[in-house]
Amino acid sequence: MQVGFLNFYGSFLDVAQQRAALVANNIANADTPGFRAQDIPFDAAMSAELSPSPDPDAIAAAAPEYRADDTVALDGNDVSPDNERLEAAQNGERMIGAATFLHQSTADLVTALRPNPSGI
Amino acid sequence: MGDIYSIVGSAMEAQNTRMGVIASNLANADSVTPPGGTPYRAHEVVFQATPLDSSDDDADSGEIATDGTDAGGSSDMPAFGVKIAGTVLSNAAPTQNYDPTNPYADANGYVTGSNVSQVGQMVDLIDASNSYAADVAVLQQAGRVDQQMLSSFEVS
Repeated sequence: MQVGFLNFYGSFLDVAQQRAALVANNIANADTPGFRAQDIPFDAAMSAELSPSPDPDAIAAAAPEYRADDTVALDGNDVSPDNERLEAAQNGERMIGAATFLHQSTADLVTALRPNPSGI
Repeated sequence: MGDIYSIVGSAMEAQNTRMGVIASNLANADSVTPPGGTPYRAHEVVFQATPLDSSDDDADSGEIATDGTDAGGSSDMPAFGVKIAGTVLSNAAPTQNYDPTNPYADANGYVTGSNVSQVGQMVDLIDASNSYAADVAVLQQAGRVDQQMLSSFEVS
């Protein structure tokens, strides 16, 4: 038996964790000359995680890519610390939200597995 | 989230070193040199993005690699971080102050100081401090998310 919500939240948290690491890396390299900010496309990464069989095309589409919309500084660095902190906060809230939903779903599952207290 | 702690740790260490270098520059801003000596030149650190598992020694890199594959599941993403590639010396001209009574004054009465720009160093210090604060914010948030994860596994 495969519990569907565990699969879904697992995939979501996996993608969110990869994003969190990339955003942390962007912030860490905010003063590195020539560094370009990276992020993963969420849709592609999520569908690659959710596909039952590993699909090389989907995995390739989910690879980290450079952010294209930021101003490049004189030293070749295009990290915007404000944007990255915003992304980090957003991503963290999403992870906490997913964990909260996962908590509730797990509690519901456990409730369903318990013997009926009224004995019917 | 084992990843994030290594990344943020490397970033905090790098920014800390940068602040140390700035402190050294500011401390030497008023250093003077006798005629013929080499004046103090401001140091500037240069950061470099680097995968953590190639910069550490073999025992540590093995640990990080297994940790990454374990935590990431199907992810093939390497763990990144930042390191200090080295320091460069500023090429600005050293200051020349007219002070004939100073024992370090040259034949024309000028004393050679350092080439540290105090205002520039203060701006750099604020930048380093802001980056450090951003790293701390990421660290705190990673901890908060981890705590929430742990509490989501305790089933009442």
